[in-house]
Amino acid sequence: LGHGSGGELTRNLLDKIIFKTFSNPFLDQKHDGSIVEFNEKIAISTDSFVITPIFFKGGDIGSLAVHGTVNDVAMCGAIPKYLSLAFIIEEGLKVSDFIKIVQSIKKAADESGVLIITGDTKVVERGKGDKIFINTTGFGEMHSKANISIQNILENDVIIVNSFIAQHGMAIMSDREGLEFETTIKSDSTNLNYLVKDLLDEFGNNIKMFRDPTRGGLGTVLHEIANDISKGVFIKETDIPIEKQVAAACEMLGLDPLYVANEGVFLTIVSKEIASEVLQLMRNHSKGKNAAIIGFVTNNHPKKVVMESSIGGKRIVSPLVGEQLPRIC
Amino acid sequence: MLKTYKIYISGQVQGVGFRPFVYNLATKHLIKGSVSNDENGVVIYATQTRDNIKLFYEELLKNPPPVSHILASEIKPTNFFKFDNFKIIPSSKNGNINLPLTPDFAICEACKTEINNSTNRRYNYPFTTCVNCGPRWAITQSFPFERNHTSMDMFTMCDDCEKEYTNPGDRRFHSQTNTCSTCGIQLHLEDTNSKKITINISITFKKVAQFLTDGKIIAIKNTSGYLLCCNAEDSEVIQKLRKLKNRPNKPFAVLYPSLEKLQKELKLNELQVKSLTSKEHPITIISSENYQGNLVLNEIAPKLNQLGVMLPYTGILQLLANELDFPIIATSGNIHGSPIISNNEDAIEKLKNVADYFLHHNLKITQPQDDSVLKFSFKFKQPVLFRRSRGFAPNYFGAQLKSTEKIIAMGADLKSSITFYPNQYIYSSQYLGNLENYDVYNRFIAMVNSYIKIFEQQPQVILIDKHPLYHSSEFGRDFAKKNKAKLIEIQHHKAHFTAILGDHNLFKKKVLGVIFDGTGYGDDKAIWGGEFFNYEKNKIKRINHLEYFDWLLGDKMAKEPRISLLSLATSEMDGILSVKFTPNELKTYKTLKTLNRLKTSSVGRLFDAVASLLNITDYNSYEGEAAILLENLVTGYNIKNCKSYLNSIEKGISSKEIIKQIAIDVKKGKSKQKIILNFLFTLANTIIEMAKTNNYKYIAFSGGVFQNTTLVDMLIELVPKEIKLYFHKDLSPNDENISFGQLMYYIHIKK
Ligand SMILES: [Fe+3]
Ligand SMILES: [Mg+2]
Ligand SMILES: [Zn+2]
Ligand SMILES: [Zn+2]
Repeated sequence: LGHGSGGELTRNLLDKIIFKTFSNPFLDQKHDGSIVEFNEKIAISTDSFVITPIFFKGGDIGSLAVHGTVNDVAMCGAIPKYLSLAFIIEEGLKVSDFIKIVQSIKKAADESGVLIITGDTKVVERGKGDKIFINTTGFGEMHSKANISIQNILENDVIIVNSFIAQHGMAIMSDREGLEFETTIKSDSTNLNYLVKDLLDEFGNNIKMFRDPTRGGLGTVLHEIANDISKGVFIKETDIPIEKQVAAACEMLGLDPLYVANEGVFLTIVSKEIASEVLQLMRNHSKGKNAAIIGFVTNNHPKKVVMESSIGGKRIVSPLVGEQLPRIC
Repeated sequence: MLKTYKIYISGQVQGVGFRPFVYNLATKHLIKGSVSNDENGVVIYATQTRDNIKLFYEELLKNPPPVSHILASEIKPTNFFKFDNFKIIPSSKNGNINLPLTPDFAICEACKTEINNSTNRRYNYPFTTCVNCGPRWAITQSFPFERNHTSMDMFTMCDDCEKEYTNPGDRRFHSQTNTCSTCGIQLHLEDTNSKKITINISITFKKVAQFLTDGKIIAIKNTSGYLLCCNAEDSEVIQKLRKLKNRPNKPFAVLYPSLEKLQKELKLNELQVKSLTSKEHPITIISSENYQGNLVLNEIAPKLNQLGVMLPYTGILQLLANELDFPIIATSGNIHGSPIISNNEDAIEKLKNVADYFLHHNLKITQPQDDSVLKFSFKFKQPVLFRRSRGFAPNYFGAQLKSTEKIIAMGADLKSSITFYPNQYIYSSQYLGNLENYDVYNRFIAMVNSYIKIFEQQPQVILIDKHPLYHSSEFGRDFAKKNKAKLIEIQHHKAHFTAILGDHNLFKKKVLGVIFDGTGYGDDKAIWGGEFFNYEKNKIKRINHLEYFDWLLGDKMAKEPRISLLSLATSEMDGILSVKFTPNELKTYKTLKTLNRLKTSSVGRLFDAVASLLNITDYNSYEGEAAILLENLVTGYNIKNCKSYLNSIEKGISSKEIIKQIAIDVKKGKSKQKIILNFLFTLANTIIEMAKTNNYKYIAFSGGVFQNTTLVDMLIELVPKEIKLYFHKDLSPNDENISFGQLMYYIHIKK
């Protein structure tokens, strides 16, 4: 992609690609913005996506930018409808790569059932960016039965995750650092909104929380939850779903899978009484085949996450601050 | 003319038979008056002639009870008062506690004789104690040390015991732990289903001995926590215990039934005997070379040429020993990484899959403690504490402070301990364990709470390690916030340094600090562990360090010595590495090495690298295993035959050069022993040379690496007359000293 004198031409090219790909009645109005109608309360979430490499096993920055925001809207108990889409592109990005990313956004948006209704594109000088940055803002209608509130969380409530953990982070690391593991590890980046909707349709306000453990991993997010609710979280290491080769790769790199990023994982907290039904529903859904109960809420150790380890003994899980620094002597 | 004097004694003077001792001494000198405990120690009123009181006072200071420890005393005339007699009056407490606590004492000879004598009324009573012996800190709930402040409170003395307690001529006069089989603590032997095995107390220990002979594992509730015991001559049961305890290689301590039996099988020197029979009765690490006996050494202490031994230090262990003609394994009752278990329900729940039988009793243990561990270097007999716990904790007498702030230091994380300064004394807790373990963490919090309860003081200053992930630091941060206290972060190795400065009160001198350990979080965000500091006029400056190398793979590096080797290896060493790593690992790790930003100066990892290079081990199954195995391959040395791997120390210690030179020696086929000695010599020599070049008169050592007693011996041998070396005296060199060091840093170092 060029800039400067050829800038005008480039802008036109970009606009053409974008408008053609995402064509829909709202976007096609070609206003300064889009006018949409909502019947319910709406949930809004925004996120900027900055990732190296921009193409990785199991996804790319485009699909990630859709899934990330769609999931964040879903985690509020809403049904994602619309996305805004803004690019900051570094001069020099290959047009073919850009097209690939736009196609990937399109596919992910279609699969998630959301429309791109407004957007922006900026090109910056070489060295002032890192290939491409994407910002998306998601808008969703609150599910009529949703009543997500940490106030509802009680002792002995059960924590369920939908899928294998630590895949995204390990996939990115393997691509970025050129590391090879025994088998290929793919990012789990995916949209979770339909599974979330099914859960809300079925269990409504009995679902007390959704949270996606993206950056910082499961460990950090559980720690946040424990602090938010001023209660303890107790988990069992052997119950946490993790694929063998991901566990092996973590072990090989001395990483704790609890702190590795996820993109297709969420956790939900429900009362003990409905836990097995929730689990059943999740396991029958394509995005929750490997769902598992990993632990429960307790009053024993407020604000602390404690894990019964596979070799026996209980371990305190601290939040990840910065890198995984050595603590052992 | 009769006069009245008031005498104050402070120090470790409660729970040690001080008041009965004073009573008898006063009676001897025809003194009338009273003696009592208060929050500051012991207070005496004495009415007699001046001369008599003077004699009394002198004798009192000269020959106090054997387990007491007088730190200060004062005598002054007061208003004359005519007393009718000399009386022990109950404790009065008018203010907050300001005296040392009382540690546990090993059973004394007199009590031992009683329980072994079939005509004595305490024959076979396992909880026989007197003013000179028995549990103290283990049962302390509050202070002063009175029965109702301990968990002995639930036992009411019978008439016979009461008579002893009130008879000034008796060894149990005012003994707070006094009980007998009629009124005292009950033992019961159970199987794993909590079914009592009903046998008469007189044959309980015979039965336990029989079980041990038959290859069973018994969980024995001692007075400071549970011990797991089995026959130390039976390899099968030891292997079983290792498996069940999840402890593949870490050496076990061996309890010998008697000193005679021990000396028949192993040679002891005078210091070792003294240590084994001291009032602390620690596990003492001795050489197991030329061993004559039936111990299965290779199961007890795999690949080691040394052994931790101890002698019975409670009535329970003594009565068991009486029935044994073989030594037994006696290891802390816990599962891998959890704290020593001290209550019956926990023991049943957590040890039911390990022990075949339980020997419980109904005395509540409030301060569980592991056994302390001590070793003397083989050549110069330098004592090194490996673990500071039962018998030593919770007092620290080595330093006096004058600050009025109430300060608590949270220590490190893996070998945690807490030091509290609530009054004029310093209290340094027993070793508590790895705080990542939730049960250890709870014990850590309980320790903080019991300090606060005993002294009725809220800490105003909280000292923590700088490491962002230490659980102790996180707790300290929360605690400071909740209590609106001042929070200070102190760098790990600087705390080690001030610990050794404090242990010898060197704050008036200019000192070279040599701090070698595994890891600590450095001021520059690197992982430190091979540090040279200058101390002068209340300031510490880092003047040198082990040449930085890459810290790879997080905590995995400390668990796998091969990774330290990889980090330090040159490209010529690919052949050696290819045997230790899969091709994929090697490729991956090399890539990571090129991307790595985290640096380290850890001497612990340098030891790991050497151990891996010499094929001693590539994996640690317990902390420090590689370094321990490395030291164990050498038995004695001749300093004249050692040579340094470094030609020059101008640029400090080059970690890569050492590894490179060792690799050359390995290739040449030089013996492991020679290489290890040269490696240790390189470190010792560099330290001494560095001190000489920079005209230091004092060198102070701290950090876990100085548990390597061969290195300690070499340093002592190499040092010229004009330089004085300081090794830890009342503390362990490892991270157990961090909390004490943090306190010293806060008090002495200018910010
Ligand atoms: Fe240390
Ligand atoms: Mg997000
Ligand atoms: Zn005694
Ligand atoms: Zn009695």
